[in-house]
Amino acid sequence: MTKLIETKDLCRSFGSDETLVVALDHVSVTIEEGEFTAIIGPSGSGKTTLLHLIGGLDEPSSGSVTLSGINIAKMPGRQVSDFRRDHIGFIFQAYNLIPVLSAEENIEYVMLLQGVSARERRRRVKEMLKITGLEGLGKRRPAQLSGGQQQRVAVARAMASSPDTILADEPTANLDSKTGISLLEVMRDLNQTRGMTFVFSTHDEKIMERATRLIHLHDGAIDKDERK
Amino acid sequence: MLIFKLAFRNILRQKRRSLLTGLSMTGGYVLFVISISMLEGSWGNAVDIFTLDHTGHIQIHKGNYVKRPKIYETIVDREEVEEALAGEARITGYAPRVYSPTLAYSGDKTSPAFLIGVDPVLETSVSRLLLKVSDGTYFDAAPNEDGYSQAMIGAGLASKLKLGLGDEIVLIAQGADGSIANDIFIISAIIGNKTSFDRFAVYLPLSAAQVFLSLGATVHEYAMLVSNRNHNEAIASDLQVLLPNLTVSPWQKVEESFYRTMQSDRQGNHFSMGIIVFLVFIGVLNTVLMSVLERTREFGVLRSIGCHPLGLVKLIFLETQMLTWLSLAVGGLIALPLVFWFAQYGILLPQPIDVGGVNFQHMKGEFSSLVFFMPMTFIVGAAALISLPPGIRAARILPRDALSSH
Ligand SMILES: Nc1ncnc2c1ncn2[C@@H]1O[C@H](COP(=O)(O)OP(=O)(O)O)[C@@H](O)[C@H]1O
Ligand SMILES: [Mg+2]
Repeated sequence: MTKLIETKDLCRSFGSDETLVVALDHVSVTIEEGEFTAIIGPSGSGKTTLLHLIGGLDEPSSGSVTLSGINIAKMPGRQVSDFRRDHIGFIFQAYNLIPVLSAEENIEYVMLLQGVSARERRRRVKEMLKITGLEGLGKRRPAQLSGGQQQRVAVARAMASSPDTILADEPTANLDSKTGISLLEVMRDLNQTRGMTFVFSTHDEKIMERATRLIHLHDGAIDKDERK
Repeated sequence: MLIFKLAFRNILRQKRRSLLTGLSMTGGYVLFVISISMLEGSWGNAVDIFTLDHTGHIQIHKGNYVKRPKIYETIVDREEVEEALAGEARITGYAPRVYSPTLAYSGDKTSPAFLIGVDPVLETSVSRLLLKVSDGTYFDAAPNEDGYSQAMIGAGLASKLKLGLGDEIVLIAQGADGSIANDIFIISAIIGNKTSFDRFAVYLPLSAAQVFLSLGATVHEYAMLVSNRNHNEAIASDLQVLLPNLTVSPWQKVEESFYRTMQSDRQGNHFSMGIIVFLVFIGVLNTVLMSVLERTREFGVLRSIGCHPLGLVKLIFLETQMLTWLSLAVGGLIALPLVFWFAQYGILLPQPIDVGGVNFQHMKGEFSSLVFFMPMTFIVGAAALISLPPGIRAARILPRDALSSH
């Protein structure tokens, strides 16, 4: 197996002096291609911070983040932007779809940024809608979709750019448990059939069960790292 | 194009706000267009009033006659000039003239006066001399049975010398050859009123003036009108090429000081229009900034899926431009008939303007591409500028901060 993500002594703190909060404290972790990893831990343990750092949305205070052998912590802003676009897909707790774009258009947009041809975009939009079980809903705006459906669109959007990794920050937290589990099934299916690497955070026991690897965070440090 | 759809739908997002902002731009545009139309119209009016009175749109002289008139500084090869003028389709009429200072007598009264020799027929195609006849009849070149030529005199001279129609006027001047010229003329008409520039002028038929001043067939000046006065400078330089030995001047050169004053007046007005647009755009800036701040989170999402900061600047730019062009389209539809009407009929002045004995009743606007495009360029440019600060603001949003804001 090849190393896809590697962090070394990753630290991130916010504020200074009395207000100093150490969100991540020397986190070193390696994630292999094709893993289905859950980052778990109580609220405030640093899950979001870790995902943001891995995804290049935030810069570490110290330490390094290496994706496919490239240290993104040292990349200039514009390049990180392109790197994110081409290598990482994001799924957020609050879905975060563009409200004025239809489901299809939300999925298409990231491919537009990549410069994918119109034909290929159309083909992939169709494909993504199909594998996320959203056939027939492509023309709807986010407001006309349920939470579970919106999060599926978010998964489709994350997949559409053909990334190496999909990072999902508590993707099921806003969903009821049944919808949450079915969303996770979609993700797990993509992981198994397409070998897509997923790293997601959660504090839901039922969701954790389905992960192949559990990284326990506590106060910004790795407590336990178990593979099933 | 998805990016256009995105920008357009973002405008529709806050319908009422976009409508208000759009209307303020529409209003600003219409106001701007009408003011420019009025401004250009009244400028055009003033230029017409001025140039059609006597100056014409272009004049031709020998050497530096405009600045330093000398009686012997004459155009000799008139055929060459008239051929050039006849060959220029944009010239609608021309008239030759001679000038000289003179002393006018009547009985025991005397006054300095200004002699202007004009071709009675050709002159009417260039100036309003015919319309300015306030008493008597417009002259012709033929002398009366006693061999005296006719003269038309300004109202100021008529009252000073107590002269009326049919009276004799004696003129004394120096001829081009240095001889003393003196002759009797019969008054056929009084010209203009006491405000006319030519209130102390004596108009003579060209041929009589040439004999009187010993000028032979030569003249001091050709004045002419062109079909579109806005092109007079270009036509003047074309003529200059054809007539390298003479000096061709647009009226702006002939009446330089008048032109300068008018021009600075005009620029002052453009400046105050600029201020109105500036005020409109403070409102626009506010709207755009607000719409950016509301969408902080969304911009964070766009950034996190790989949109460049510059992509956000472009999006805001596009949104602002779309709203601007929509507003301009509406504004154009409103302004077009208004300006057209204004240019056709004008507004009736509460009091007619009297310019040297000719009355002007209406103040008309100008209907031209400039009137519409100048404000348009200005507003589009302002919108482009105004969209930059909010755009940059959006570009500087950090995805991390944007995503953690709820
Ligand atoms: N932008 C920020 N400014 C200050 N403190 C922050 C910021 N983001 C996160 N933190 C702090 O860092 C710690 C980890 O936060 P986070 O990564 O969001 O945890 P989790 O996602 O596990 O709930 C928390 O104590 C949080 O208060
Ligand atoms: Mg979190």
